[in-house]
Amino acid sequence: MTTPAARTTPLVETSSPGAGPVAPQLTDVSVMIGGQGGDGTLTVSDLLGRYFRKRGLYVYLSRNVLSRIRGGHADASVRGSQAAVAAVKTEVDVLVAFDKEAVDIGKAELAPHGYILYDSTTFQVDLPNATGFPFATLVGGPLGQPIFKNTAAYGALSVIFGFDAVETRAVIEDRFKRRGGEALEKNLKALEIGRKAALETPGLADRFSIADGDAHDFIMTTGNLAAAMGFVVGGGRFFAGYPITPATEIMEHLQKYLPAFGGVVRQAEDELAAVNMIIGAAYAGARVMTSTSGPGLSLMTEGIGHAGAAEIPIVVADCQRVGPSTGQPTRHEQSDLSHLANLGHGEFPRFIIAPGTPEECFLLTAEALNLAERWRLPVILLLDEALCQNATTSRRFELEKVRVDRGERLSGEAVAALTQYKAYAFTDSGRSPYAPPGTPGVWAEITGNEHDEWGHVTVNPANRVRMMKKRMEKMVKARDELPTANLFGPPDAKVGIIAYGSTTGPVREAQGLLSARGQSTKFLQPRTLYPVPVHEIDPFLQSVDVCYVVEHNYTGQFARLLRETMPWHFQKLRSITKYDGANFRAPQIIAQIKEVA
Amino acid sequence: MVESAKPVPPIWCPGCGDFGVLAALKKAAAEMKVPTHDLVLVGGIGCSGSIHNFLEINGIHALHGRLLAQAVGVKLSNPHLTVVAAGGDGDGYAIGMGHFMHAFKKNASIIYIAMNNETYGLTKGQASPTSQIGFEGNIERPFDAILTALSIPAPNLIARTFSGDPKTMIQVLVEALKFTTEGRGFAFIEDLSPCVTYNDTYKLWREKVLDVSKSPGYDPTDRKAMFRICLETMEAGRIPIGVMHRPKEPAQEGLEMKLLGDAAGPARSEIAIAPNLGAYQKLLAGLA
Repeated sequence: MTTPAARTTPLVETSSPGAGPVAPQLTDVSVMIGGQGGDGTLTVSDLLGRYFRKRGLYVYLSRNVLSRIRGGHADASVRGSQAAVAAVKTEVDVLVAFDKEAVDIGKAELAPHGYILYDSTTFQVDLPNATGFPFATLVGGPLGQPIFKNTAAYGALSVIFGFDAVETRAVIEDRFKRRGGEALEKNLKALEIGRKAALETPGLADRFSIADGDAHDFIMTTGNLAAAMGFVVGGGRFFAGYPITPATEIMEHLQKYLPAFGGVVRQAEDELAAVNMIIGAAYAGARVMTSTSGPGLSLMTEGIGHAGAAEIPIVVADCQRVGPSTGQPTRHEQSDLSHLANLGHGEFPRFIIAPGTPEECFLLTAEALNLAERWRLPVILLLDEALCQNATTSRRFELEKVRVDRGERLSGEAVAALTQYKAYAFTDSGRSPYAPPGTPGVWAEITGNEHDEWGHVTVNPANRVRMMKKRMEKMVKARDELPTANLFGPPDAKVGIIAYGSTTGPVREAQGLLSARGQSTKFLQPRTLYPVPVHEIDPFLQSVDVCYVVEHNYTGQFARLLRETMPWHFQKLRSITKYDGANFRAPQIIAQIKEVA
Repeated sequence: MVESAKPVPPIWCPGCGDFGVLAALKKAAAEMKVPTHDLVLVGGIGCSGSIHNFLEINGIHALHGRLLAQAVGVKLSNPHLTVVAAGGDGDGYAIGMGHFMHAFKKNASIIYIAMNNETYGLTKGQASPTSQIGFEGNIERPFDAILTALSIPAPNLIARTFSGDPKTMIQVLVEALKFTTEGRGFAFIEDLSPCVTYNDTYKLWREKVLDVSKSPGYDPTDRKAMFRICLETMEAGRIPIGVMHRPKEPAQEGLEMKLLGDAAGPARSEIAIAPNLGAYQKLLAGLA
């Protein structure tokens, strides 16, 4: 056991490279596993992640897969760190290659001390830091199938990193015990085959050691799972969706968990149906959500506008991916914000809420349901591929922080005490009390046509003006209820950074690296993007000399929105953008900050 | 008595076939004693889709073509409600075709009344999916909703009525209300509802409609026989009306019954934290 390094310098490797009696000790390790789809690269990263967690490390799993069921190159990476990181590590310490392409892609990312372990059954690598194992043959003979090569690779890695043998085995037992019997037995055999091969290779054992961490009682989760959990405990009871990467898991998790709470989950015939089904369900009184991504969002735009006009509370989770059109379904981007801020024809209010971590996905999904019902409008839960699908260690979700606030929802008794019930009543708060159908004694007209307080269709100009103001002013009146921004870094820092969503992870890491170099920055992570929280962002921008807006798109959409809203800060705002389909790594952000380069 | 939204006078032209549906719906709901606060009418876009404004019931005006998706959402959210979707042929068979087909497959216990006038009346008389060849330059063969409905192997109630025959329409609506109240599934009624301004087919349709129950071999539980009867009636230049499919399947085939059984449904389930605390804690403790 080793002592965890101080939190302030989390990312520094504690020993120098070069062979010596002491193995280089890493406090932050990254392993990349590449191969053909179906090679089980994700299994290797999952097994390593499990081991790292046993050792108290923070874990970040990411993947680079193609939009196909089997075949084609796919890679996964796993990071274990003493620090609470939420991004891919810049350099790969060990690369496991099941195909040649993995070497071609991965070698450029290899650390100077980095090491390649490859399956020499089908190809050779002529590099000094590469060792070949005929994994497929090694396991294929005794186990009858080469598919266990992933577990054998995990076994070899356990030797290279000097893992504890008992815990290494316990990971396999945990992972495969549910499948039981033969699967467990064969994987344990594959583990031993991998370990034996590595132990018999000179110079491989204990090549590195990994310092333990103190991250215990953490769970492993994705943003999609967290959002599904937030929906359940936030009182969400009706969900309709249509399968689309990277949003599908929200629907799948809810299919598993929601029925036990009397909820309904439906896979619709398309996104038009999905959004209209939740509109109908919300009108009838349920808390609702749908989740989608780019192309589906385009289809749902019609329904979201309808919900805005008819004042129907819906939550739409947009799991952003590379667009436009089919784009790159499995890759990361944050390029829907401009669309969402201006979404739909005509004008209607909407809130865009952007969590940055799974914990925030959990809490803000629940809060989005409150905001939607209190203000009777569509709330967009803005997520992104890395946040949705990359699994990270996360603190346990705090149920105590969840509240259910339905606003002026009228019960049967409350209605009975009224003399009048108008579904679109003008009120000082800007919120109209609502009684869903089935409430005895009253009925309501709900419509996307312009309407009066009763819900009757009208073209009266004075009414039109008053109704437009009633709806649009929700974006002003709700200001103090919207999720607040997070601020990281010293108050006197003069270099500012603004980013949202999963970009929070690499920005936080960049701040740590800069801080270690004596460069101070402060980072504002807005969690409400629209209406733009000027009351938070303006003072922040006032306090810095320059501010970098870090985001994943070509045109700098968030920076543009900020310039448009606060033109007086035009000169201070600079864009750092990335749109290659992969999420930022901390040094890529640092490299573009001129003041500290 | 709490004052709430009152019906407004219909926007329809005098003599419009949609008045027949309005009157029949009132009578059928009264006969079935459906409380007005439990009745939801989901309207489409077009003249017919404004019907919810003219009744003392809960109304929601859906987007063009999306009324069936919204109606299914209402029913699955609160299965206690009686849900009627009503719109026109353009709404249902053109822009809403995807949802129309899936409504049969989903089989939620809602009624869908498609008022077919073979034209887009509200936008002043363009050809619709059911327009005859030659109408407003139409060169595409008309779509037939009943044959399509019969081709989908689901336990739906399928019927066609005619606004010129209110008595049959009330009978069919009463049957549809019973059918959906029993949780048996989707009830589709196409009503032939002439547009007196742009496509006045009253006289023509009165001559052409043929009650299929009088056809030899009429058996609404026999899908194959009914498809043949309807097709042969059409080939003979007539328009089949009546109940075309009355499923043999027992009650509780409706989607909401399969999903929820006797449960209250999403809209009426308890969502406060306190009563769910134990279950929520267990759910979250299951995350590892």
